[in-house]
This record gives sequence, C-alpha cells and structure tokens, in this order.
Amino acid sequence: MTAEQPSGAEPFESTVDGLARTLAEVDADGALHETAAAAFPGTRAAFLRRSVAAAVAGVGGLFTAESAEAADAAMTKNDIAILRFDLVLEYLQAGLYTEVERLGALTPKTLGWARVVGAHERAHVAALKGLLGRNIVPSPTFNYGNVSSNERAFIRTAVGFEDLTAALLKWQAPRLDSRSIVAAAVSLHSVETRHAAWIRHLIGLRPAANAFDKPASQQRMARLIASTNFIASRPRLASRTRPRLTG
Amino acid sequence: MRRLALVGASLLIAAAAVAFPKLVQKAGDEAAGSGRAHPAEFADANGLPRAPRPAFTVGPPALLDSRESHARFAPVVRPVKARALPHPDSAPVALLTRETEEETTNIVLVLGEPRSRRGGTWVHVRLPVLPNDRTAWVPRSALGGFQFVHTHLVVDLTRFMATLFRRGRPVFRTAVGVGQTAWPTPKGEFYIRDKVSDFDDPFYGPIAFGTSARSAVLTDWPGGGFVGIHGTNQPELIPGRISHGCIRMRNDDIVRLSRLMPVGTPLTIR
Repeated sequence: MTAEQPSGAEPFESTVDGLARTLAEVDADGALHETAAAAFPGTRAAFLRRSVAAAVAGVGGLFTAESAEAADAAMTKNDIAILRFDLVLEYLQAGLYTEVERLGALTPKTLGWARVVGAHERAHVAALKGLLGRNIVPSPTFNYGNVSSNERAFIRTAVGFEDLTAALLKWQAPRLDSRSIVAAAVSLHSVETRHAAWIRHLIGLRPAANAFDKPASQQRMARLIASTNFIASRPRLASRTRPRLTG
Repeated sequence: MRRLALVGASLLIAAAAVAFPKLVQKAGDEAAGSGRAHPAEFADANGLPRAPRPAFTVGPPALLDSRESHARFAPVVRPVKARALPHPDSAPVALLTRETEEETTNIVLVLGEPRSRRGGTWVHVRLPVLPNDRTAWVPRSALGGFQFVHTHLVVDLTRFMATLFRRGRPVFRTAVGVGQTAWPTPKGEFYIRDKVSDFDDPFYGPIAFGTSARSAVLTDWPGGGFVGIHGTNQPELIPGRISHGCIRMRNDDIVRLSRLMPVGTPLTIR
C-alpha cells in the first residue's frame, strides 16, 4: 500500500479537484459522481453544487431544527465535508457487512467477523448522522455483486476497506477544525484499526505490520470505492404512467 | 467438578487483584530509576489542558436479529435469459428485460443463496411470467444490488382480505375485491414489482401496485395481463368478486398500504 503523507498546507479545494478528476475517469454511470458531490458541498465545480443541493433538500426533514442548528454552529464547512465523506464510507461498509450476514453464504468464521463489525459500522452510521443533522448525505444504492457471497472476494475487499479506513481517518484528523470532532473521530479510528487487525489475523496476515502507519487520502479512498463499482444507479421503482393492469 | 472450577477461578482472580498493583508499582519505580512511587512525568500530566467534549459518541452496536425475516429483490441491469438451471447451457425459460410495462426498472425476487461455480455466480429468482409461480436462474452479473424488505402481503381470496405483515406481525388489514369467476385472480407466490401514482384514471384509484402475477385468461390484455393492487371508483362493490383479476381496495386503504409496503414485498395469493 502506498499511502500518501499528510500535508497540512494542502488546501481542501485541491482534494475536491483530485476527486473530481478521479471520478471523471472511473465513474461510468455517474452514480459515484453524485455521491461524492454530496460529500463535498461548496466546491467550485458546478456539477458538485447541483448534486449537493438535491441531497440536502432530500433529507432536510429528518432531523429537528434545533439539532441541525446546533450541529451547524459547531461545525465548519470543512468538517462537514469530511464527515459527509466518512458517512458515505460507513454506509458502504455497513451495507456490505449487513448483506453478507443476511445472505449467510460465507464460512462461519468470516460471518462471525462480519456480524460484529457490521453492527459497529451501523452504529458509526447512526452516530455520524446524528452529528451531521440536516447536513447528512443520503445513502447511495449499492451493488456488491458476488463479493457478498464469495469468501475470497469478500475478505480481500474487507481487508482493503478496513486498512484504508484506518489510514483515511489518520489523514483526516489533522484536517479537522473542531477539536471536539477530533476527540470523537479518534474513538472511531481505533475501532477501525481493530477491525483491520482482526480480519488480517483471520486470514493469516500480520495484524500489525509496521511500527508506524501512514495516512491515506480521501482521493485514494475514492479511487478504491470507484474501483469496486459498488455504488450503483438507483432503480426506478415508481412511475406516473397510466397503469395497464387488468383492473 | 463445576463448583471446584469456580472456586479455582475465584482464587486466581483474587490473587491477580492483589498482585497487579504491586507489579505496576514496581514497574513504575524501575522506570523512574529513583525509587519514587510516582515518576515526575506522571505528576506533570495534571497540568495538561482539559480535553474537549467529543462531538459525538458512538452508541452500542446493534446486532441483526438472527430470526429476522426478510426477502430480497434485485433490478435487472441488462436483458438476460433466465435459465432452468444455473448453467449457461441450460434451457432458457424466459427473457428478462430491463423495464416493465409501466416504464419502471424490472425487478426479480431473489430466492435462496447465490450459487458460485465455474463460469460465474448464479442467482435463483422468481419470474414475472406465465405460467405463474415460475422460478429460474440468472447470472449474478445481470442483476443490480440486492435490496431487502421485511414485509409480506397475503391476500385471501376466500375471505376477500389483504393483510400486510412486517417482521412477521400484521400491520395492515383490509377488505378487497378480487377477480370474477371468468377472470380469476391467480393463486401462488408473487412479488410487488412497482408503484404507479398521479396517473389520473379514477378506475384505478390514486395508486396502483404492479405485481408479478399474471392473468392466465386475459393474456392479450395491453401490457400482458399483469395483475395489480389498486384503488377504485366503485368502493361499494368491495368486498366481492368484482374485477378482471386485479385486487381492488378502497382508496384510503390503498393510500395507507402505499405508506407501509415497499416495492419488492413478497405477495402470497391463496
């Protein structure tokens, strides 16, 4: 894994631009584009702005005004953007592990890991949504393909996700403006590193390979997500066409 | 024997409780190298700034209920031949398209576990074709992401009653109109395919659900004779055998049902 070094001087805008370029290269149907756009409000790119407005409007009624105002007052735009990215990532992980458990197609050992870690990731989703209030980004639709029913593919994906999530949180922590969010984020970070060590141990990889871990950027995580093709177009399940049912 | 083991474990825990503080003290003394009980660095920690209150705390993890009842469906993402067996050389049963007659995404109800074998992963699905109740296999790659639902609609043709269950418990029940003798509502296992609203046709009421059930009689009906669940402009006829095969309910009932029942819900007509 070639993780990037943190750079305190790197402006957030360059992160957005980097992600936009990555998405343009790999996101064939635009679904990932929309999700990432919702995770990066207030950017210069027009396509990002449009999607953000739609995402925020779509979830505006889910939280009380008081909690939303409190969250807004406590968080900078930068912090919101980072947390929204994390929320998408948590949706992705929670969705995969939940599907694995429901399908029940993997070995008992791997299922046991997915059951516990899935519960953790769902708790992370709930915590991040509570903090973000009206700034939450709705969950995308996921298609995990055969990864959720194929032992080898699942483990490879889980190791990648858990390793990179731990590295990503390390990258994000020094970029957060609010110390109280940093204080909360480190409680997530240590759990993600435990997940990573656990799944590595399960398959005989060294749980702790280095004395020091390197951070990994949001761009890198976005590339990983894009490479999986897990984010899918939402199926159209309702219409306004006149029915042609038998009546 | 069990009692002996318990006593032994208790003694071990008690011994550890006595020994642990002494070990810590000894280690601290050795680290300080001065014989002091607490190294100076420990005392300095009191002068550090107070930590901010964490912006959020993560709640307790909620494990899935192992008895959880759920069904799953998946969209058809490319036209594909559904086959009798999970093998590319198996006989085709039906062609699945990407769209329904109502211009929604075509979905299939997924049954059992995916089956992986050389040549790919296959999924057993319930089909929206005649004869009713038909199942077949499609490659996993022809389907989109699985979506899970926890509801199940049961329509009793004898009692003219529809009941929606969520996680095994009834959450909605109402009287319905069903197919007349000449155009019977088919019995079997089906699923809700899509939802149509705002179409301005009082005959169907305000909302109609498309299902995978098809009339075995009205095969030349526009759209292929799919059976729906919808409202009505003749509520006084409910309950009874009144329709061309569709399941009709009063308009306020179909509106209520539409708030409770997601697309993809399994449907049993008996």
